[in-house]
Amino acid sequence: MPALVLIPVLLGLPQLVHGGGWELIGQFALAAAQPSLDPAVIQSVISGLGTTTSMALLGWAGSMVLGVGLGVASSRTVWRTVLGHGAPADLIRKLLAIPRSIHELLWGLLLLQLVGLEPVVAVVAIAIPFGALVARVVSDLIDALPTGNLNALRAAGAPGGPALVTALGPPLLPHLLSYSSYRLECALRSATLLGVFGLGGLGTELRLTLQSLNFKELWSGLWVLLAAMVLLETLLGWLRHRWSMPNRFTKKVMASGRQGQELVALGVALIPLLVWVAQSQQIDPGALLQWQALPPMGPPHWAELAGLNWPSLVGNTIVLTGLAAALAVGGAPLLLLLVAAWPLGKLVVRGIWLLARLWPPPLTALLLLFVLKPGVPTAALALGFHNLGILGRLLLECAETADRAPEQALISGGTGPRMALLYGRFSALARPYLAYGAYRADVILRESVVVGLVGATGLGSQLLEALSSFAWDQLLALVAVYAALTLLGEDLSDRARHQLLETAHGDDQSQEVGGAWR
Amino acid sequence: MIRQTLEADSAGSPSHPSPALLELQGIDLAGKGQRRLEAIKLNIQPGERVALIGASGAGKSSLLAVANGLIKPNAGTVLWQGSPPAKSRRQRRRQQARIGTLWQDLRLIEELTVQQNLNGARLAQWGWPKALLNLLLPLETGPCAAALERLDLDQALLDRPVGSLSGGQRQRVAIARLLRQEPLLVLADEPLASLDPRLAEELLALLLDYTRAPRALVMSLHRPDLLGGFDRVVGLRAGRVLFDQPVDQLGQDQLTALYASSL
Repeated sequence: MPALVLIPVLLGLPQLVHGGGWELIGQFALAAAQPSLDPAVIQSVISGLGTTTSMALLGWAGSMVLGVGLGVASSRTVWRTVLGHGAPADLIRKLLAIPRSIHELLWGLLLLQLVGLEPVVAVVAIAIPFGALVARVVSDLIDALPTGNLNALRAAGAPGGPALVTALGPPLLPHLLSYSSYRLECALRSATLLGVFGLGGLGTELRLTLQSLNFKELWSGLWVLLAAMVLLETLLGWLRHRWSMPNRFTKKVMASGRQGQELVALGVALIPLLVWVAQSQQIDPGALLQWQALPPMGPPHWAELAGLNWPSLVGNTIVLTGLAAALAVGGAPLLLLLVAAWPLGKLVVRGIWLLARLWPPPLTALLLLFVLKPGVPTAALALGFHNLGILGRLLLECAETADRAPEQALISGGTGPRMALLYGRFSALARPYLAYGAYRADVILRESVVVGLVGATGLGSQLLEALSSFAWDQLLALVAVYAALTLLGEDLSDRARHQLLETAHGDDQSQEVGGAWR
Repeated sequence: MIRQTLEADSAGSPSHPSPALLELQGIDLAGKGQRRLEAIKLNIQPGERVALIGASGAGKSSLLAVANGLIKPNAGTVLWQGSPPAKSRRQRRRQQARIGTLWQDLRLIEELTVQQNLNGARLAQWGWPKALLNLLLPLETGPCAAALERLDLDQALLDRPVGSLSGGQRQRVAIARLLRQEPLLVLADEPLASLDPRLAEELLALLLDYTRAPRALVMSLHRPDLLGGFDRVVGLRAGRVLFDQPVDQLGQDQLTALYASSL
């Protein structure tokens, strides 16, 4: 159904095309096969990647520490156990909604204005919104755990804290590990994105080479980024597999607490690594305290502020979100269906999705500008493409673990492979997938600022403009409206998801899709 | 310090007269529509082993939940060893540590090993450091192995995650955890329901033996044929105590009235 959106977009495309840049697109595509192997280029790409991964790693570590701490602090179960009342949890939860509603790019750009171009900016920009997001997921996970064991320990006289850790820690751990590894992938994507906006690292290289039309060097960077991403995803997949596999499936006997020991060892090993990374990147938290002299702030220009075309700004943002979400949600199953008949095609689609995931949306947008006019549809295409990669991977993972029996029954009854896939497997996945799509739409709304640079995309582009001219009155108003819109969107998407999941029968799986994979 | 007091208590030192381990007075508990418990009065002395019988939904589980402090009744008083639930957290924990509950759904922590689960019963005595270490290292292997041995379980199970055990093994691990807690008052919610007859009789015998004075036992159960070893039987019907008397005075007509379908 959401795939229907493709029709108007395809119809509208001819009007958007401005012709001029097809040659450039061709050069870009050709350059993929012959990236620059100049040692100087390679060296700068590698060092760029080093910076980006360092920012990602540190930002991720910060967000996990923040997130787990705040997540525990905003869990109703925890407060009820420790204090006998769950109200403080709700308060903390509401407060955390604010840092969460502002995209890491905005945090990055705001901090950039305040403290200048310091390596620590990107780290903090990732850690703040990610931390608030992790906090929400952690508290949701904790509160969804059955409290029977906790009550049992409490009834036997165990004090609150140790009882919580003993009863809820072990069941929480696999979810937390799986989610945190997913967050690390997100952090790498975000660090690249922040680079595109000038916060250093590989992203900066990518943007500079793209803007100077130096496609061969651009592809050197892209291939390296691709390799890093594949490596990370494989490594994390392996770790997830190892840790989330409950011991009951393996007959092997592990000594008491073995898993805990491994985790503690890993955590302890991470600390020197993080310190080393921080030192090698010359990341200095002290820099956060040394604010730059801000440009003089005049009195707010109320008239100018009111003069902004608010309805159109908000409207464009919503249209952009809707288009991009529909493209991503509808596109993934459609592509899978198209290539269902050919095993090779599946591989190609997988490759495209991988590219889409690691490719920062603003770069896609810049590339699209070679041939398309700036505007909402262009931005939506760029944003939709990126999210298509993320949704597609999830869909594929779910489809591969789903029950194949109905599909086999259809195929043996003479149904074609596409039909069989659609009826046999997708029908069972539809609800959890759409539920995840609803969540993704909410992410896209938050992300819509990142394609603001193609212009005329609503709040996002206005925000970037206000930032560069440091019109602080506009900036504050825009951030506030944007945050309010995001919170509203989050609430709507939560409701949609609950509705979709309530009617779904396979509660466990849908919870898995909706909950653990935010 | 806590531990010493506990041991002194469990030894039942004759220096002070021992009050009732559990005393319920005029307990009312509201439920949806009708009351779950109404005017319950119950007194359990050290050494008493009391069977709680009644049809499903008669309020047996609610009564046990009130008795172990999980549910606060809407009216009435609960006294443990003569004292009401303490206001101070430390005191309250000390009270709770003397009440051992065998839950109908066992409430073992599936992800943890048998040993870690058994040690969970010691959290009342342990502080934070030991509670955390329990998640990382095998602690107090000796006492844990001893608890398993009393239940005829192989020591090798200590390292197995609870999730990998069979139903009968899990039931026995839950009882072993109870033994590790060394409670004075044992409350058991239909612990024999899902076991084969031989195992059920064995475990019942063990629990009855364990709860001689100074301990006591309240066990809800479905099968009147297992009442033999108990001292007293309490019949519960629609949230009210229908009878409370020595087991050997129980008549067939009382049982018929207890399980009669009309309300």
